[in-house]
Amino acid sequence: MIESLVQPGSTFAPDIDFVINLVGGLVFFWGGLTVAMFFWLLWRYRYREGVKALYVTGNEPELKRWINIPHYLIILCDLAIIGFAVQTWYKVKQDIPPVDDEIRVVGQQWAWTFQHTGPDGKMGTDDDIKTADVLHVEVDKTYQFTLESRDVLHSFSVPIFRLKQDVIPGREIQGWFHPTVAGAFDIQCAEMCGIGHGIMAARIIVETPEQHAAWLAGAK
Amino acid sequence: MSNVASRWSVGWAAPILGLAIFGIVGACRGTTIPASARSADAVTPERGEVLYSNYCAQCHKADGHGQESVGAPSIAGLPQWYVKTQLMNFRQGIRGAHFDDIEGLRMRPMSLSLPAQEDVDAVSLYVGTMRPVAPAPSVQGGDAGHGSQLFTTCQACHGTDGKGNEAMGAPPLTVQPDWYLVRQLGKFKNGVRGADPRDVKGATMRPMAQGLADEQAMKDVVGHVMTLR
Ligand code: HEC
Ligand code: HEC
Ligand SMILES: [Cu+2]
Repeated sequence: MIESLVQPGSTFAPDIDFVINLVGGLVFFWGGLTVAMFFWLLWRYRYREGVKALYVTGNEPELKRWINIPHYLIILCDLAIIGFAVQTWYKVKQDIPPVDDEIRVVGQQWAWTFQHTGPDGKMGTDDDIKTADVLHVEVDKTYQFTLESRDVLHSFSVPIFRLKQDVIPGREIQGWFHPTVAGAFDIQCAEMCGIGHGIMAARIIVETPEQHAAWLAGAK
Repeated sequence: MSNVASRWSVGWAAPILGLAIFGIVGACRGTTIPASARSADAVTPERGEVLYSNYCAQCHKADGHGQESVGAPSIAGLPQWYVKTQLMNFRQGIRGAHFDDIEGLRMRPMSLSLPAQEDVDAVSLYVGTMRPVAPAPSVQGGDAGHGSQLFTTCQACHGTDGKGNEAMGAPPLTVQPDWYLVRQLGKFKNGVRGADPRDVKGATMRPMAQGLADEQAMKDVVGHVMTLR
């Protein structure tokens, strides 16, 4: 469902989509059922000439069943959601694959800036490449990113990766991603950070190895 | 009987209230920019003023004196041609798109929030009509005497009186705050401003900043500029 709206572009995107679809599907099912029930009851017990409304306390077992049975079923659904969510959390947050390259991402009012390791693959050396508004990565490589803020809260959001991580001033927050499709995609800020928040956008260019090498060669 | 009727009306109140809230929110959104200011091709100072108070005043302030805490300089008194060039530079990422340009990266999205080219023209026109404010000096330790010697190189473009020269693309230096001027000199020197290959004017200014030995020299020359007001 969600994958038809935003293409999944990282190794963990399908897992996250699955949980979102699961939650969405279950909510849609139960919500739909409840609303249908609601209107059916409205119609079934509508005002009729000469019929007096019945007073119910809500304690009658045959009426309480209408609440209890769905309640237990929904708890079962919740347990299933928790199970899958924990599994996905483990994959994204705990089971970190070996890292191929690093990226430093700095958020500020109102731009994303990026520090790439450059040709030597090491962060903090003279050949590092610094950019504003564009992040260059290579497809099928695992990147570890470090997030920093120069001022207030921001949130580094890459919809195609299903990645969204808050950026907190004073902290260096790490995470990873592994792009699976080449192309140019959106980066956005997902935490209200002031007047320019809505246009705090950047692009991520996921390149093939040849394109990436060409960019590296041209950037210095 | 009446009980049933009142239950019905409560049932309908919620969606109606919801729609009403939507309507009010929608109406408020429309009031951000008055319709009169929306008509395109109206490049007038009046329209510029409306745009300025909506998009610029919160940082540069209603009278254009700026706000040091967000790094926004006074811009009142800058000529229209210079305001426009800088806005275009910001919009195109020629200025304010460098990793280390913290303040420029803040100004760039603001320049992009002007919806159309006519808006850039109108707001530049308006800023050009604002009376200069020239905030009081705040940078300590500048030696204006030494600065006046350094300033001889600057005169060719910015003029002996520091009032700028449109033909050279050099702005006046007498309306901005001193902290801002020092900071810009640092940015030019370090390639944070004026290093973009498309920045033809900035490229003429860069070597001048590189000619200033250190931050002390920048403070000195700005100290002299402050005496020109
Ligand atoms: C969020 C605060 C903010 C807003 C809103 C803002 N600016 Fe700025 N502006 C800045 C900052 C910060 C700088 C300094 C950039 C630098 O240090 O390079 C600046 C610089 C400028 C400059 C360059 C001045 C010079 O001497 O070169 C101009 C011109 C300018 N702004 C015009 C505008 C206009 C016009 C608007 C409204 C469309 C606007 N600004 C809205 C913060 C803001
Ligand atoms: C060759 C001509 C030239 C000379 C000489 C020159 N400048 Fe400039 N200066 C410029 C131009 C052109 C700009 C505007 C650049 C732009 O469009 O971004 C500028 C911009 C500046 C700014 C930024 C003003 C602002 O509002 O952002 C400062 C500060 C400045 N110059 C100071 C100096 C000082 C100090 C000297 C002498 C050491 C000097 N300039 C010498 C051409 C020159
Ligand atoms: Cu943000």
